Amino acid sequence: MRVAYFSPVPPERSGIADYSALLLPALGERLDVTVVKRGRTRAPRGTDVSLYHVGNNPDAHAWIVDALRKESGVVVLHDFVLHHLVAGMTVGRRDGHGYLDAMEREYGVVGRLLAHGVLDKRISPLWESRPADFPLASFVLEHASGVIVHSRTVADLVRGAGFTGPLWVVPHPAWPVPAIAPVQVAEGPVIGCFGVVNASKRIPELLTATAKVREEHSDVTLLLVGPTSPGFDLERRLQRLGLTAGGLVREGWADASRLWALMKGVDIAVNLRHPTMGETSGSVIRAISLGKPLVVSDVGWFSELPDEVALKIPVGDDEVPVLAAALELLVTRGDVREAMSTAGVELARRAHDLGRVAELYSAALEEAAGGAAVADSVLRDVSEAAAEVGISGDADEAREIARRLAEVELG
Amino acid sequence: MRVAVLRPQVPFARGGAEIFTDRLVEELRVRGHDTDLVSIPFKWYPGARVLTQAFLWRMLDLDEADGKPIDVVVATKFPSYLVRHRDKRVWLVHQFRQAYELDGTGLGQFGDSPEDRALRRKVQGLDRVALGEATRLFAISRNVAGRLEASTGLQAEVLPHPPQALEFRCEGYGDFVLSVNRLDRAKRIDLLLEAAALDAGLRVVIAGDGPDRQRLERLAHDRGLDGRARFAGRVSEEELADLYARCLAVYYAPVDEDYGMVPLEAFLSEKPVLTTTDAGGPLEVVADGATGLVVSPDAGELARAASWLREHRDDAATLGRAGQAVAAEVTWDRAIGRLLA
Repeated sequence: MRVAYFSPVPPERSGIADYSALLLPALGERLDVTVVKRGRTRAPRGTDVSLYHVGNNPDAHAWIVDALRKESGVVVLHDFVLHHLVAGMTVGRRDGHGYLDAMEREYGVVGRLLAHGVLDKRISPLWESRPADFPLASFVLEHASGVIVHSRTVADLVRGAGFTGPLWVVPHPAWPVPAIAPVQVAEGPVIGCFGVVNASKRIPELLTATAKVREEHSDVTLLLVGPTSPGFDLERRLQRLGLTAGGLVREGWADASRLWALMKGVDIAVNLRHPTMGETSGSVIRAISLGKPLVVSDVGWFSELPDEVALKIPVGDDEVPVLAAALELLVTRGDVREAMSTAGVELARRAHDLGRVAELYSAALEEAAGGAAVADSVLRDVSEAAAEVGISGDADEAREIARRLAEVELG
Repeated sequence: MRVAVLRPQVPFARGGAEIFTDRLVEELRVRGHDTDLVSIPFKWYPGARVLTQAFLWRMLDLDEADGKPIDVVVATKFPSYLVRHRDKRVWLVHQFRQAYELDGTGLGQFGDSPEDRALRRKVQGLDRVALGEATRLFAISRNVAGRLEASTGLQAEVLPHPPQALEFRCEGYGDFVLSVNRLDRAKRIDLLLEAAALDAGLRVVIAGDGPDRQRLERLAHDRGLDGRARFAGRVSEEELADLYARCLAVYYAPVDEDYGMVPLEAFLSEKPVLTTTDAGGPLEVVADGATGLVVSPDAGELARAASWLREHRDDAATLGRAGQAVAAEVTWDRAIGRLLA
């Protein structure tokens, strides 16, 4: 079966490009996949189904959504909150009316008024100030013939947004762990945090909690890996918390091999998030593959991680003390770290195995391409048989048949 | 306890699943359970017929019969487990294999068109839903349980069952290797015939019938085996027990078989089993050099193994007796005890 695959791919630098680089070889073993060149908005001739990877970054994904709007297909929704993408595809293209219409379609007159406020610069851009309140996912969903998501959380959000077509939850695949020597950045216990350094990754809370843990355990080190977001004043925060003199190791953007080496060297991995855009985290997948005990925010997809694998920190007033207690527990209890490590590796093997994920993708795409014809055929056969024995469409018996068909997902 | 055993029926065909379910009903009755067999014909082609015929099971109401509740239903193979019941136990003989490991092989059913691909996925979807509803989920072998977990993520308890009740006995180690199986390509009887063609001392008796019979008879003729390969056809229980009693060894090497009762029947007759490394379920009881000989699926290797047994009949007897001890562990008391626990 021929699949047209629309996605950022390396050398583009993005989590979704990395994701596709991992998935494509395994998918290619099962299906005839053509990766569509960036900027092209038509699938190759003879394509049975198109697959569109959509994330929130307009630079990476606007051309893909342009293609989707020309020809429907299966959307892989990497983020549920797409306001930034929609703004980029409307306001960013000097199409203010497009933005007004998108906001009105999803949020009614209030949405349109707010959009006017943004365009007139009366209020700050909603994609920066309140994206989660106005995710604008229908901008994409209304063109999708089917949707693939990575979590039940996002599946619920997609249904809540009114999407009634086929929906598949396919876990994020795990990378094979490379044979790279770990890099030990300090002697004592190392807490690692990987990704962009900013407020939504709860870095201020993590810094405060780490400083608190270090009051009792001065040998603990926090390793922060990733570029700092513009406007996030890391240095000032470190000075205030007394983390400049020690206890923190800073590393900027790291390529894949450096990332693995650093992650292998940590004792605990932290991946906090709020607000969430409905995304999964490649860092978390890498961490569980390596058997690193995890600390995450109790939000979105992160909440779905098994308790044996991750300690979950509620976002709110007690966030810092709870986070500090979790870190202290993991710093001091080798047996807990060991148990979480084993559970993480097992989770990666069982749920995130690349072959399994590729098989789930194949199933979704095959159902998307031929499922409607099969459903029609089944319904025709069943309704003909019912009609032949005098069961009409509005009879109780017909409703019973319909109910049973729905139970086994045949109707 | 009132128990309904569920079995799809292929009219005019009878094989291991039919023998198993008939026996299960008898054994449940012997133990005082009010038991009956519920059967619906199943035709899996053309096109979406596999789904509509399977769906018939979903329309059944087996909550009660004649005003009395049915306490437990025991579904066995696709699509009987689509039935709805508050205590649906599945003792899985096999899924619809054409939708799984046989897909893309000569034994598959679904083509490359988007409709066929989607049809196959719908069959898999039925399995996920219907097997996921089971209150207890058993599989007749590790092989079947493994396939189930790989395809649906569902875990089944492995629960083997004993073979049919024959007058099992051993009357020595004769000069022929016995094949007991339905004659279709997946059972790979041709490998045994090719081995016989390579070893002039190897005589074979082939019990069973099926759609591949003409091809196999022609193959035997073409290889000059007319005097050394006898096609016995479908044999009576007495005749089968007699063949088991007199043979040197039993050949049983289908491709990735679910489980296979034949090795256990051979063992109960104190006979070693000749099988291949890719036979699947049989390898759970046939251990190379312990209860039989396991070779790669190659006629030359099979011929050498059969020849070795002919020349080492005492060793053949030792292997057969070891097999008997393995088979003796598989009893209906144990199986039904776990099934209804």
